[in-house]
Amino acid sequence: MQESKSVPGVCFPWEEKKKEYAEIKGDEEVVKAWWETYDVHAYVHLWFCVTGL
Amino acid sequence: MAKSMQELYEERMDRYWKANHLQKPDKVPFRPCAAELAGKIAGYTAQQVTHDPDLGLDAVVKMCQAVPGIDATVVNMVFVNTSVTESYGLKYYKVPGIDLDADDSFQYIEPQTEEDAFMKVEEYDRFIEDPNEFVMNVWLPRTSKYMVPPGEQNTWKNNLAWLKNGIAIQQYFQKLGANVARMQTETGTVSSLAGALKAPFDILADKFRGFRGIAYDLHRCPDKVLKATEAVAPHMAWNCIATADPSRKVPCSHWMHRGATGFFSEEVFEKFHWPTLKMVTEQIWEAGIQTIYYAEGKWARNLKHFRQLPEQSIIFHCDKDDIYEVKRVLGDRFAISGGVPNDMLAFGEPADVKKRVKQLITDFGPDGGYLLDAEAIMQQDVKVENFIAMAQACEEYGYI
Repeated sequence: MQESKSVPGVCFPWEEKKKEYAEIKGDEEVVKAWWETYDVHAYVHLWFCVTGL
Repeated sequence: MAKSMQELYEERMDRYWKANHLQKPDKVPFRPCAAELAGKIAGYTAQQVTHDPDLGLDAVVKMCQAVPGIDATVVNMVFVNTSVTESYGLKYYKVPGIDLDADDSFQYIEPQTEEDAFMKVEEYDRFIEDPNEFVMNVWLPRTSKYMVPPGEQNTWKNNLAWLKNGIAIQQYFQKLGANVARMQTETGTVSSLAGALKAPFDILADKFRGFRGIAYDLHRCPDKVLKATEAVAPHMAWNCIATADPSRKVPCSHWMHRGATGFFSEEVFEKFHWPTLKMVTEQIWEAGIQTIYYAEGKWARNLKHFRQLPEQSIIFHCDKDDIYEVKRVLGDRFAISGGVPNDMLAFGEPADVKKRVKQLITDFGPDGGYLLDAEAIMQQDVKVENFIAMAQACEEYGYI
């Protein structure tokens, strides 16, 4: 089965985003959770353009 | 004492769930897929229901109020809202009220040449390597009048298109959710599906390469076509599950196109279409979700393959196939819907419709696992009196 770089449900992985921060002074999970929340929405939105419109 | 809307909704949901799961409910459910017809009943033009999301959704509620006996129906069978697509300049629709008369149905326009294709033949490798990247950076800009791909000079129209696309789609999703609730509380009607599956081969053929392109590609680069279906399959499954009914009570939809027997050989179906469709259907079923195989056109030659799917994992909707043959081949494993010809609904009389509905219910009702519907999506050519006759006949004969 062919594999690709794209991971379902992810546009811009948290691991990549995290590299932009020199340091997260507070709770990393809060930052991560909301990053991923909007990222999933972007992903669904992107593929809705393909499959739903 | 009259039933409350909630009681009616629960009764209809129970009926719908049982029929979908091959059981015998108290009554054969009436599950029409009514598109522009809903607008016709509500007094709206095709332009109004296609371009104005509020009127399009309101039409469905008004239809459920005006025609008693609809157990479940689609919240937005006019599935493209053209105010959304116009917000970012989508190229591939002809829009009622703009390109077409206000009472025409929207039309999909497939690019006619390789130069105009939304994905070029030499771009398979890029697509296979990273479908997300391809959709974002190549496909979307190419399908929009305003969006520009990375590397080209940016424009204010590009920035605005992305902004409006985001706002329009989010607003539309919110309206859909609100209208599902309206259907329940104001009419006691079940929203018949949630979440959409596209067969990987279909999405490649319909939206990326086009029918002509994929037909040539099957000969000039078959391995790449196969790899592309495999690369996109996980995205089809994930998106369908993510947007499905959280309660898992109603199925997702799969509008079936290029696997119909008129398009490609059985060999093509077996090698390119079926493996990834089977895989994603099984993944969706493992997540607890049934799929309506809305089999547009004729599928008889390929029906036997569907028997490989887990029992009850799909509901097979019959369009131009002989529904009696479909029942014979698939009826022991899956529920079946359809059976009333659209030409009868458009050109026949209520007596013809009632006779056909009575026959279908007599033949399929006692076994359970049957849902009454037209053969295809009902548009503005359906006579309202025939649609009402369909609902009335189901009420009259459907309690079996």
